[in-house]
Amino acid sequence: MEPPHITILHGTQAWRINLRTGEFMDKQPDPADVPEEITAFIQKRSHWQSFHKKWDEKYPMNPVRDKDADEAE
Amino acid sequence: MTVKTKPPIAARLVFLLDKAKKRPAEFSLLGPQVVSSIEGLRDSVALATKDTLWVSYEKDLTEALLKMVWGPPRSLGMAVFVHALSLQSVVGLASCFKRFAFASDHGFLPPDELAEALEAKNAADLFIGGSVDLSSETITLWRGCLTPLTVPFSAFEKSGDGTELDFARFAVTDFGQTVRLGRYEAAADAILYKFDPDYRRRISRVRRQSERSFGASLRRLRKQRGLRREDFEPEIAGKTIARIEQGIVQQVHKKTLTAIARRLRVTPEEIGSY
Repeated sequence: MEPPHITILHGTQAWRINLRTGEFMDKQPDPADVPEEITAFIQKRSHWQSFHKKWDEKYPMNPVRDKDADEAE
Repeated sequence: MTVKTKPPIAARLVFLLDKAKKRPAEFSLLGPQVVSSIEGLRDSVALATKDTLWVSYEKDLTEALLKMVWGPPRSLGMAVFVHALSLQSVVGLASCFKRFAFASDHGFLPPDELAEALEAKNAADLFIGGSVDLSSETITLWRGCLTPLTVPFSAFEKSGDGTELDFARFAVTDFGQTVRLGRYEAAADAILYKFDPDYRRRISRVRRQSERSFGASLRRLRKQRGLRREDFEPEIAGKTIARIEQGIVQQVHKKTLTAIARRLRVTPEEIGSY
C-alpha cells in the first residue's frame, strides 16, 4: 500500500510528498525543481493539517496517523 | 513555478489528419504536417516510415487511408485515432500500424495536452485516453506509448468521503496523470502500480536506490539516535536537515556536514554507511 501523500502536478510531471514524513517520495522528477514557495505553502501548519484531514476522509483504511507505519519509520 | 519548456521535437515525422483550423496550433510541439485532403494523404503514405506518428481527428480521412494501404502488410508507424472506429477498421489498421490507440473524441486528452503527453519522457506512464465498456465493466486506458491497459471497475476503490464513481463520465486529465470518473479521481501512477508488473518493478528499483541515498542514511541515523530535526539547532536549522534528507540539497557544505556528524557522534564519512 502506498503511504499517504499529496501530489504536486505540473504538466506531465508529478512530485509526491509523504504525509507521514514530509519527504519527497521520488528522486525523479528532481524535488529541487519545486519552488520553495510551494513547499512552504504545503508545509504551513494549517495546510498540512488540512491535507491530513482530507487524506483520512478519503482513505480511512490507510490513515496518516498509522501506528504500525509510525513504528516502521 | 519554473517551467522547463521543451523545444519542438522534429525527430519523427508526424501527420495530423485534421480539417479544423485552430487545432494544428495546439499540436505545434510535435511539428506536424497537417493533412486535410485525399491528395495530401496519398503523399503522406508515401513518406511514412515505421517511426511516423499519425494523429487523426477525421474519420473519413482514416477510412481513406485504409483504402490506400491494402496489399502486402507494411508499417506506417504508430497512430492515435481520436474518433470512433468500426471493428472492421480496427482489423485493417492493425495490419499497417505497429501500435495504435482509438476512442471517441471525448475519450482523449485535449489537443495541447495530448501532444505534450505523446512527447513526454514518461509517456508510457501517462494515460492519453481511454474508453469505458459498461457491459464487461472494464476501462481500457491508452498509455502515451500507445499500448493499452485494461482494468476492471473494481480497481477503483470507493472513496471514504463518499465521492461517487461515475463511469459514464470518464475522462483523462492533468496531461494524462489523472483518470476522472465524474467527481472521483484516480492517479495514473496508482493504477499502473496496481496493474503493470513492469512499472511496479521499475518503481521499486528506483525506491531501493533512493533508500541508499545520503539523505536516507542521515534520516535513518538521526532516528536511530532518537533525534528530531530541530535537535540540530541552533547550528543547523531543522528545515535544512529536512532538505538534506529529502534530497533537495544534493551537495552538503563541509561545515554543515561536520556539524551534523558531531551531533550524531560519527565521522562525516560514516553517515552514508547507515
